[in-house]
Amino acid sequence: MTCKTSKEIGGVGHSLKRKEDARFLKGRGNYVDDIKLPGMLYMDIVRSPYAYAKILSINAEEALKLPGVLAVITGKDLAQYNLHWMPTLMSDTQMVLPTDTVMYQAQEVAAVIATDRYIAADAIELVEVEYEVMDPVINPFKSLDPDAPVLRADKEGKTDNHIFHWEVGDRDGTDEIFKNADITVKEQIYIPRIHVASIETCGCVASYDKVKQHMTIYLTTQAPHAIRTVVALVAGHVGLSEERIRVVSPDIGGGFGGKVPVYPGYVIAVAASFLIGKPVKWIEDRSENLQADSFARDYHMTCELAATKDGKIQALRIKTLADHGYTDAAANPSKFPAGMFSICTGSYDMKTAFTELDAVYTNKPPGGVAYRCSFRVTEAAHAIERMVDRLALEMKIDPAELRFKNFIKKEDFPYQSALGWEYDSGDYEAALKLAMEKIGYDELRKEQAEKRAKGELMGIGISSFTEIVGAGPSKDFDILGIKMFDSCEIRVHPTGKAIARFGTKSQGQGHETTYAQIIAEELGIPADHIAIEEGDTDTAPYGLGTYASRSTPTAGAAATKAARKLRDKAKKIAAYLLEVSEEDLEWEPGKFFVKGAPEKAKTIQEIVFAAYTNHPQGMEAGFEATHYYDPPNLTFPFGSYICVVDIDRGTGEVKIRRFVAVDDCGTIINPMIVEGQIHGGLTQGLAPALYEELIYDEEGNILNGTFMDYLVPTAVETPHWETDKTCTPSPHHPIGAKGVGESATVGAPPAIANAVVDALSHLGVTHIDIPISAAKVWQILHEKGVAE
Amino acid sequence: MKAKIDKKFEVEQDIQTVWKFISDPHKVVTCVPGAQITEQIDDRNYVGTVSLQVGPVKTSYKGEVTIARLEDDKYEMEIIGKGTDTKGKGNAGMVLIGTLSKNDRGLTEVINSMEVSVSGKLAQFGSRMIVDVTDQVFGQFIDNVKNQLKAIEEAQKASGEGQAFVPPPAQEAKPLKALPLLFSIILGYIMRLFGRKPKS
Repeated sequence: MTCKTSKEIGGVGHSLKRKEDARFLKGRGNYVDDIKLPGMLYMDIVRSPYAYAKILSINAEEALKLPGVLAVITGKDLAQYNLHWMPTLMSDTQMVLPTDTVMYQAQEVAAVIATDRYIAADAIELVEVEYEVMDPVINPFKSLDPDAPVLRADKEGKTDNHIFHWEVGDRDGTDEIFKNADITVKEQIYIPRIHVASIETCGCVASYDKVKQHMTIYLTTQAPHAIRTVVALVAGHVGLSEERIRVVSPDIGGGFGGKVPVYPGYVIAVAASFLIGKPVKWIEDRSENLQADSFARDYHMTCELAATKDGKIQALRIKTLADHGYTDAAANPSKFPAGMFSICTGSYDMKTAFTELDAVYTNKPPGGVAYRCSFRVTEAAHAIERMVDRLALEMKIDPAELRFKNFIKKEDFPYQSALGWEYDSGDYEAALKLAMEKIGYDELRKEQAEKRAKGELMGIGISSFTEIVGAGPSKDFDILGIKMFDSCEIRVHPTGKAIARFGTKSQGQGHETTYAQIIAEELGIPADHIAIEEGDTDTAPYGLGTYASRSTPTAGAAATKAARKLRDKAKKIAAYLLEVSEEDLEWEPGKFFVKGAPEKAKTIQEIVFAAYTNHPQGMEAGFEATHYYDPPNLTFPFGSYICVVDIDRGTGEVKIRRFVAVDDCGTIINPMIVEGQIHGGLTQGLAPALYEELIYDEEGNILNGTFMDYLVPTAVETPHWETDKTCTPSPHHPIGAKGVGESATVGAPPAIANAVVDALSHLGVTHIDIPISAAKVWQILHEKGVAE
Repeated sequence: MKAKIDKKFEVEQDIQTVWKFISDPHKVVTCVPGAQITEQIDDRNYVGTVSLQVGPVKTSYKGEVTIARLEDDKYEMEIIGKGTDTKGKGNAGMVLIGTLSKNDRGLTEVINSMEVSVSGKLAQFGSRMIVDVTDQVFGQFIDNVKNQLKAIEEAQKASGEGQAFVPPPAQEAKPLKALPLLFSIILGYIMRLFGRKPKS
């Protein structure tokens, strides 16, 4: 793509090296655990060994005898301040520390505060807790049985484990089409409970100054402003009003949605610091992170498609059971209890669809976070992409052909989906065609036929997904009532160098580079000279943070708008300096010049200097602008991925031979960063496709609560990714960008699953739930009698 | 989480001697590594402790042992044990079914099936090792039974036929550390990789 700005300016489209990498690569990042304050105390947490039990007693005597132990905090202690419960983002309630019952294994039971991290760790072993174990509800399908225990008996009048019912679409119309359709297909699809497993676990340093009555919280959070407001709302009654709270989110080692929720550990540390008047640090260890922090996915979906006999999809019907654990601590916009799951009609033109979902409580950790996806989009994409392949198999036509036949056409955008979204722009055909060309689709199909004849197992899988990101327009989108706009404040110094601050918070996405490029594009100030700051609620403008691929669609747009306000001011100053009228001026990146007389020009640096030294009378001095951007619509990035797998008939191992990813995220700000995002996303898509799942036994014991057993893919398992792109700008975003951070995580799992099913489809296999482990495939090979 | 293991072994002693030994909780419990009977409630119910360490997780279970079934005519018995860690780290249960028979070589064959269920910290951090640990513990139990039976036989021989039976001194209950077992667990794992059954 061509760039409007020179390499020196480094605006949109340049592959600028990431500004933040120097400090990350040299070990000079500043993460929460790097923060050390004078007199800081350390906290560790006693956790429940049982999934469901009554707490009969907590005996802290031995722990308190250990030199260096200052306090052991229990739920009863917090209850004195009414801090033992807290609200979740979905307006459910969650225990900070239990007073009488534990609801999942690894739940917080008590906290130890000590002068040293290791003393705290030793002390938790000395806290004796007596439990009365109860039979847990682990299987979500049994959760609604009439004889299942009512887990949330703390809620007045609660008589079952049902959390909510949600539905969208035309139920009767859909039923009618299914009744009369030429062809219908149905599959039970499970998208398993997984964990974001970011390299940095969660933690905080809470530091309360009793004299100033001021609380500073250094926190692993993707949304610092929202956290400050939540703390003020929850703890305002004990004196922590919002101006006395500063939340700082320093460098973050990966968030992926897992650092959106408020975890009990944060609240206990804040309460402890408030009561003791000293800084308290709490950092989870790996197993705590994996076993207790918010999970993602866990949707049991019954999916159906109806089509005409010539392969035109007529309707989609999906019924889902969602396992939320013991509380609804999902991280969705308030009005969307199942997130953006209703994007499940995907890239396909169908007039009718219906989807419904019931969420239930079980004795498992709470969560339902949007793991590198815009609120349940991964679940939706998996459902529709698997089902399109299922329909192709039923009709015995090529899955690519079926997709072409049903894609929403380029000229039909903006497109109104059957489930209520207005897709902004797309060209699905172009993306799939490019992917097929790049991988040599027709030759691969020939090779597959030859191999099949010889008994070898090879499969080709396609995923032509559509995302819905950039939440969101204020008329529909809020979290706890706060609208989901985002913000940018630009301050240009007299010498023409700038600092810009945002309401978002990078966790590795490269905001310090890409935001600078957006401003450079609009103002012509070199990106190198634009400092970007996020994450400090005392300095940054208010915003809802970074998740759901929303930073570019919201804060990126705010940056453009704020910069354009400054360019308007620059034009006025330039007209004044050049003694011409504004209409006579023309802009090229970095300067205004007089139409027809390009030698009569003022650079942006000269203009900014004048704003401080020689500004027109009657004009406000200085060169600053702020913009709060409320997006008119969401953005709809898309892509087509093709995966080729070979299956080892002896071991059942799935080997990814090739994987081509064609993405379209609209205007690309930094091609190198986009490619990096795709590579990371594909690997996090490979993870649940072949390896990751949190497994519980019937007692609620987690059976893979360490990295020995929870299989995060490493470089060894990761195949070579081949990436390419098409570019269909968003018509409503000021620079046409759509957001790309999550596309690959959403699009990759169905491509891989489709490839494996394709390799085995001639044996009668129609679906395999992810993760498709070697053991699962091995078992199928034996059942079908084709094992070697 | 549950682990079920079946084991068969044979001893030279006659079926009556073996039955007498194996159906006496006081004797048989001393053969379980790390186990101890601390109190007898009645002739079928006992209170006892089992200590076990797997890696960094130390547990000490206290609980009840019940003889659920004792069929002298069939030489069949079932023992059920249930315990809770004294520090609240979890609980464990065990069902042991033992059957004796005389085989065609005139030896007494002992068939044992043991199902162990573990909840809490051990399951949380050691689930991948539970089966192997159970297997090793079971193996040590069998060795102890064999040794004790041998000791009884020798004691009987020394004091002459028909003399009153003097039981050997009970072994002292030491917490079983699974870490020293690690080597044999790894060895067993490697042998299974190559398709060989490890010796039990």
